[in-house]
Amino acid sequence: MHIPYKVGLSMKHKLLFSLCSLLLATSAQAEVNISGFASVVAGRVIDGTGVAEFDLGPTFLADYPLVGAYDEDISFKPDTLFGIQFSADLLEGLSATAQVVSRGADDFSADFEWAYLSYELNEHWTVQGGKKRLPLYYYSDFFDVGYAYPWIRPPADNYTWQVFNYTGVSALYNYLMGEWTMSGQVYYGSEDSDPNKLLSDFFFLENTREVWKDIGGIVVQFNRDWLDIRLTHMQYTNERYIGGVQQEWNGNKQRTGKFYGLSVNIDYNNFLFLSELNRLDLDGSNLDTYLVTLGYRIKSVMPYVSYSDFNDGEGGEVHHTTSAGIRWDFHPSAAFKIQYDDVKDEGGPGMKVAGDSQSISLGVDLVF
Amino acid sequence: MKKLLCSILLSLVSMPIWAGVVVIVHPSNGDTIDQKAIENIYLGKTKTFPNGASAVPVNLDSAVPLRETFDSKVLGKSSSQLKSYWSQKVFTGKGTPPKEVTSGAEMIKLVSSNPNIIGYIDSSEANDSVKVVAEF
Repeated sequence: MHIPYKVGLSMKHKLLFSLCSLLLATSAQAEVNISGFASVVAGRVIDGTGVAEFDLGPTFLADYPLVGAYDEDISFKPDTLFGIQFSADLLEGLSATAQVVSRGADDFSADFEWAYLSYELNEHWTVQGGKKRLPLYYYSDFFDVGYAYPWIRPPADNYTWQVFNYTGVSALYNYLMGEWTMSGQVYYGSEDSDPNKLLSDFFFLENTREVWKDIGGIVVQFNRDWLDIRLTHMQYTNERYIGGVQQEWNGNKQRTGKFYGLSVNIDYNNFLFLSELNRLDLDGSNLDTYLVTLGYRIKSVMPYVSYSDFNDGEGGEVHHTTSAGIRWDFHPSAAFKIQYDDVKDEGGPGMKVAGDSQSISLGVDLVF
Repeated sequence: MKKLLCSILLSLVSMPIWAGVVVIVHPSNGDTIDQKAIENIYLGKTKTFPNGASAVPVNLDSAVPLRETFDSKVLGKSSSQLKSYWSQKVFTGKGTPPKEVTSGAEMIKLVSSNPNIIGYIDSSEANDSVKVVAEF
């Protein structure tokens, strides 16, 4: 396990160096912008049941895809991350962007989350190609940028998907229609996640390769003053190899996932309402998730409460989280947050994730 | 003491005048540009003036006090709300915030030299080389 991992890392570093030198080389003619974000978060489980049948002690799984989990000892690893973005404006509407993120949940190894070329066709349409975050849920593509949302991290019950990147093409659009802005994107691509961290390290405890093929999706977002509505649909074909053996579902080597999402957000005066309602139809099984968050801004301080839920509709994987927290914008580029999370895991036999837990986490998000 | 009181009172009286923001464009720009249009341009919702000509917004650096006045009075958002808005766009490839300059003089120089640029300055700084389209 360790040797190929290290080889992979040095390959990534080579890629990073060559990309940096490319960006530096182009800087003679083009403008290179460097920006970034960071979250430094500490937390711990105050009390939890764990899952006896998996021999798992009290655990709060705060970040599913990266297996960012807290236990009863204070830890900085699950939610702490650093990101840096290089963007080279090559003029005439062409730009190249790379974003490298180093996460505590990944032992701070630096990975490319985004590496793409972007070309502005006209004032309404932009085409992009390369590696990007999959814009599945509302917060999926800026999941790493804690400064851009109220919580310490987007509610874990919703953000459970094992695949969060894809390589492919997308077309982004933006239209101003009277008082409304209509924006969004269409995208197509694939992802071969080998080994997939969530499935390998947490669910199957064996090297698992997760393939999502023919990922195709559309996002339509309507925005007007204080109202924001987002609709999305995505489809993909799934193949899975556990310990090198291809999995079958009802005798089939592939299965199809269809994702539907609706999000309504209101930011009216000092009042904030955030909501998401999502369904993944995975070969006929419906995995439903939703979240509701209410916040109230008092100058630079915003207390908030949140509820999020995951239910597979078959009495299998069922869990929900009630959270309360405070965001304080103590600096023009940084926010302090403290959050309490109460997770109830009502999973059926063999289907619990991490058991019940009550946790506290606090930290600082910043952008530069 | 009286002097101090006087100067405090005077500064209170004069504050609204000195804190006035004027939005400026090139003198050749004959378009009608209202608050909504300014907001759409500064939030990256459109890349054009209402008449269809290309619009390039320029911001004052966040260290200049007038920036905060512009953010809250014209865009109706706090500086941290706007930072949050832009960080969402920048790190997902959906847009880049307006370029920044560090003084009103620099702003006037840019606006007076390019018909596509829109900017803002303290009302006391306005001169003939630029055209004021809105005052807040």
